[in-house]
Amino acid sequence: MTTRQAAPAQPRTLTEVAFDPITRIVGNLGIYTKIDFNAREVVECRSTSSIFRGYSVFMKGKDPRDAHFITSRICGICGDNHATCSVYAQNMAYGVKPPPLAEWIVNLGEAAEYMFDHTIFQDNMVFVDYCERMVKETNPGVWERAERTPAPHGEQHGHRTIGDIMRSYNPFEGATYKEALVMSRLTREMICLMEGRHVHPSTLYPGGVGTVATPQLFTDYLVRLTRCLDFVKRAVAMNDDVFDFFYEALPGYQEVGRRRTMLGCWGAFQDPEIVDYSYARMNEWGNRMFVTPGIVVDNELVTTNLVDINLGMRILLGSSYYQDWTGEETFVDKDPLGNPVDKRHPWNQTTLPAPQKRDLDGGNYSWVMSPRWLDRRTNEHLALDTGGGPIARLWSTALAGKVNTPYVRSTGHSVQIDLPKTPTSPEVRLEWTPPPFPNTLERNRARMYFVAYAAGMALHFVDQALNEVRAGRTKVFQDFTVPKDAIGCGFHEAVRGVLSHHMVIRDGKIANYHPYPPTPWNASPRDFYGTPGPYEDAVQGCPIFEENGPDNFKGIDIMRTVRSFDPCLPCGVHMYLGGGRTLTQSHSPTFGALA
Amino acid sequence: MGITVGKPDVTPDRPAHVAGVRRGNHQGGRKRQPGHRRNNLSTARRSTGINARHRNPVLPDMPNLSPA
Repeated sequence: MTTRQAAPAQPRTLTEVAFDPITRIVGNLGIYTKIDFNAREVVECRSTSSIFRGYSVFMKGKDPRDAHFITSRICGICGDNHATCSVYAQNMAYGVKPPPLAEWIVNLGEAAEYMFDHTIFQDNMVFVDYCERMVKETNPGVWERAERTPAPHGEQHGHRTIGDIMRSYNPFEGATYKEALVMSRLTREMICLMEGRHVHPSTLYPGGVGTVATPQLFTDYLVRLTRCLDFVKRAVAMNDDVFDFFYEALPGYQEVGRRRTMLGCWGAFQDPEIVDYSYARMNEWGNRMFVTPGIVVDNELVTTNLVDINLGMRILLGSSYYQDWTGEETFVDKDPLGNPVDKRHPWNQTTLPAPQKRDLDGGNYSWVMSPRWLDRRTNEHLALDTGGGPIARLWSTALAGKVNTPYVRSTGHSVQIDLPKTPTSPEVRLEWTPPPFPNTLERNRARMYFVAYAAGMALHFVDQALNEVRAGRTKVFQDFTVPKDAIGCGFHEAVRGVLSHHMVIRDGKIANYHPYPPTPWNASPRDFYGTPGPYEDAVQGCPIFEENGPDNFKGIDIMRTVRSFDPCLPCGVHMYLGGGRTLTQSHSPTFGALA
Repeated sequence: MGITVGKPDVTPDRPAHVAGVRRGNHQGGRKRQPGHRRNNLSTARRSTGINARHRNPVLPDMPNLSPA
């Protein structure tokens, strides 16, 4: 008889691999990992940011009417989302309802922004990770197979093989890469038509817009939109082909970037028929938005009520360079409906920065805080993510079944998008159905579907705006007075996900202001319950498919995962030099030195 | 802890509004915006001050689509 003993567990050999800073994103993000190269798996991950957001500190005391102009500068690519969200918060605080045409103009500007930003990020940044050169370097076997695999939608996008598509993604020289840049110009022009300027709009105000609405304005927009539609139809087909090919060529790739479904969407595109920006009716008008707000947990829609979403927000600390503010002033103890507001809610937050050395071993390691959403059913603080924006927006809209427009419809289990015939392509029906779980490829796939969604919505908004103009209803601005004391909150979708602005006005000035963009949710570090943030969660346990060994490891699977969330950590550090010391003073004579 | 900063030489809560300057959101501003009617419609006067009436529609049923 032989006795068998369980072999002692092999101690894992972990290699520390750090990616800091990560390129092809905005801002400064570091990903610190521990990788088991024998098991081909990422074992541990921490995401850090060395950028301090000072907006909540220096907004205090400002005139509230300046808020959207100042907060627009938070971001250099989605500033208009911030301006819009701030305008929504101000509308609530001032109790003003803009005229319908103004709402359609804002919606048109925002639809163009989604089209612009998603296209430039997807085709000029994300797809560099899937292009010929990158795949040749990291997975030569996959590249060989791509060259031999015919593209299933070849007749729609004109590329014969998957290899041809990947070649077109090559940076600076690939056809798709270059075409996306042309598209980004067109879509920026569309935003400028509606909002006066990109990326910091000059004609968005609380109470309406300053855009002069004429038939010409909307025709100029529509001409550009039609040209974009040709590109969008091709791009969706190419995306599907490439991502389906990855599943086929690398069995098990669906596990890369996999995370429990915990998605948040705060809704976009107001319906002027119902929106009045009152807090008391927020659930009603929120549910009529053309992208339905919602929280999806474990593939089920938990709520679409913006009041619940608002009251469940908690800003936790745990690994961030801040002091706790629980001893500080409470600005809002009850919301206008009488519900209690938590001390950790953005309305009551006081930002107390505490710069210190980064400590990745159980200490503080990021300037990003840990926003969480309190699930009342389980009392869990959920680390919601936005999946880069589109996957959460489509998922929430699909399950809610509330959107029904001529071009875009929600069926209760999917989103259907009808794009009409355009100069070089026939009409197309696209359908996005939620995947079994979110992962790297599905987050990326949803992005181009959402471009189609925004384009379809823009067609609807142009129709509605032209109806207003043709009826002669050209009013775009409503007067208002700034109250002495008020509170307001705005809910919107920045391009890469949830965006909220919370404002408290006292004595006609801002007493507290807290913008919460998507990246604090996605890039958050471990909170004081030990819950990791979404990047950390998605990268931990991620299998490694890269063919390179530890010596020339590029970490492509990790990079694809992080970039699938569309990271954006903008806002420079706001430095104060004390005493008004002048750094440099320069003068450029307008007419030349001798004039 | 907290950030150590120098002595501030700005007054962050100084009002942005200067007394006497008309505010964009001022109620009743319509009277300074010729061509915009109380019923949310507008006329050619919003586009031009020169012979504006001649540029209005010829029939009362027609919408007034003034140029920018």
